[in-house]
Amino acid sequence: MSKKIVIDPVTRVEGHGKVTIHLGEDNNVQDAFFHIVEFRGFERFIQGHPYWEAPILVQRLCGICPVSHHLAAAKAIDQLVGIDPEQLPNTATQIRRLLHYGQVFQSHALHFFYLASPDLLFGLEAPAEQRNVVAVAQANKELAKKGILMRKFGQEVIQAIAGKRIHGISAVPGGVHKSLKPEEVQHFLEDDQTPSIYTMIDWALEVLNFIKDYHRKNAQWLESFANYPSGHLGLVGANGELELYHGNLRAKDANGQITLNDIPTNDYIHNFNEGVEKWSYMKFPYLKDLGQNRGWNRVGPLARVNVCNYISTPLAERERQIFMEKTEGRPNNATMFYHWARLIELLHCAELMKDLLHDPAIQGTELRKEGERRPEGIGIIEAPRGTLIHHYIADEKGMITKCNLIVSTTHNNEAMNRAVRWVAQNVIDKQPDITETLLNQVEIAIRAYDPCLSCATHAIGKMPLHLSIYDNNGKLINEKFKH
Amino acid sequence: MKSSSIKRGLLIGIGNDARGDDGLGWAFLKKLEGSTNHYDIVWRYQLQVEDAELISRYPEVVFVDACQTAVPNGFALEKCKAVLGFDFSTHAVEPTSILALCQELYQAYPLSYIFKIQGYHWDLGKTLSTAARKNLENALDFWHQRSQKVTAPL
Repeated sequence: MSKKIVIDPVTRVEGHGKVTIHLGEDNNVQDAFFHIVEFRGFERFIQGHPYWEAPILVQRLCGICPVSHHLAAAKAIDQLVGIDPEQLPNTATQIRRLLHYGQVFQSHALHFFYLASPDLLFGLEAPAEQRNVVAVAQANKELAKKGILMRKFGQEVIQAIAGKRIHGISAVPGGVHKSLKPEEVQHFLEDDQTPSIYTMIDWALEVLNFIKDYHRKNAQWLESFANYPSGHLGLVGANGELELYHGNLRAKDANGQITLNDIPTNDYIHNFNEGVEKWSYMKFPYLKDLGQNRGWNRVGPLARVNVCNYISTPLAERERQIFMEKTEGRPNNATMFYHWARLIELLHCAELMKDLLHDPAIQGTELRKEGERRPEGIGIIEAPRGTLIHHYIADEKGMITKCNLIVSTTHNNEAMNRAVRWVAQNVIDKQPDITETLLNQVEIAIRAYDPCLSCATHAIGKMPLHLSIYDNNGKLINEKFKH
Repeated sequence: MKSSSIKRGLLIGIGNDARGDDGLGWAFLKKLEGSTNHYDIVWRYQLQVEDAELISRYPEVVFVDACQTAVPNGFALEKCKAVLGFDFSTHAVEPTSILALCQELYQAYPLSYIFKIQGYHWDLGKTLSTAARKNLENALDFWHQRSQKVTAPL
């Protein structure tokens, strides 16, 4: 008799998703799916609104990465008012970059300390009540305190620029609405109630030492768990350096061969398609030339570190080189290496923020430019979780008539499904008993991608996550829920 | 950006003013903004772990939030007890967990309250329902009376 496992909700991820695993005779895995079951409505909801409202409205897609949506929309709206990224006033560019790096920094800190660290600190067999940040706080007070203050630092950067920690407003069509005052800059350079940017760099290095030590002790598991070939996609700068705010799109296959060769972001539409499956509201983007089966890519920290030639800041570049030695310079396809790559980016963002805080441009006065109105705008940035695409068309009155959003978690849709399938086939397959420890590994695989399911479906409202197991007669035999 | 002197207490409004009566916590703070000298005010869609560090700096903390359950007169000021909750997500951390984390990590023990104001409608929309507005007025009256009686940290 075959069975079906459903994990619903998957915990410590952003949003509502569901996993189903179908078992056959002797508990052999027949198939596994990661479903996104929330209704997708934001692209329609935004139609009919004036274009200048888009950077504000789209922030409501998410309470965790609103800045990413704000900036991607702003870059698209810049084009609607006739301003390409290179034409933006330098102060506006540097303020937006600082805002973006603050966002990535706080998001990566949130994920590592609050969501991922229980998996790493307590192991696969830890009881459910131990796998959370509260237990981390009890077991390792200093780690928890640093995590809190790193997240707070990024939030304060956002607040200084955008006025609020969540859903603030910085970007306006063609620029930003304010720069920073000297005392605001000084706040981040001095150790006061919030530690300085220099302390953030020191702590980022400490956390990297933690993860490297963890990898030394757990190499076999980390290198094999959910390791499967995939493409990798991310932005790179003019010289192939890792780029988070603006650059060209590059993709590589699992062996490092280029599959998308540094195309300008406005050409994305000619290179990507989105597939659909009847069991998920989330689409499946892929490279047109390769087709849906071969053209899907991982995005996010692991993909970005895999596709770039180098990192522009010295400490993060040194860490990248150590990271790439593990695969002798080829792309790393092991899912658990997302955590390490995320921490390299955490350090990179801290270094970038330090540089920007010393750049007089962030206190400049030329904030905004405007050119000839255009009907169409495309904004692409690297959000914490990966490549984020906002595309708008507006009529002559400035009303949005079309909106297409491809968010990071959507790019990772196929990769997360493969991760679930890998765990089902390599961990759960033929086990006589389906234990909590086995099911937890499904969540660990998904969690490494730091998915934001509310963004991916552009859903509004409360989003818990769900895992179910069914037998081959369609009978539900095991279920988990979290809200 | 430098820290100013610590006030007697901190009011944390929790909610979302784009979701009907879920905006009660924020509406309460808006009415007090500029008129309360003894309290700092912060606004939250949801509490986050770093709020444990924030509240550790105050002698008194009041979490103001809308509630769905019926309470007498449409509001209730209740003591918040520290509970290390394990049903944690980044979308919602309970005040009780924030207080427990504050005690655990910072050895700080602010006197903490949850100020519940009853709401009725939670759909998209910027307007409070009529019944929720009435509860808000009652809650504000109570708060003003309490503030007149209590002049020092509790």
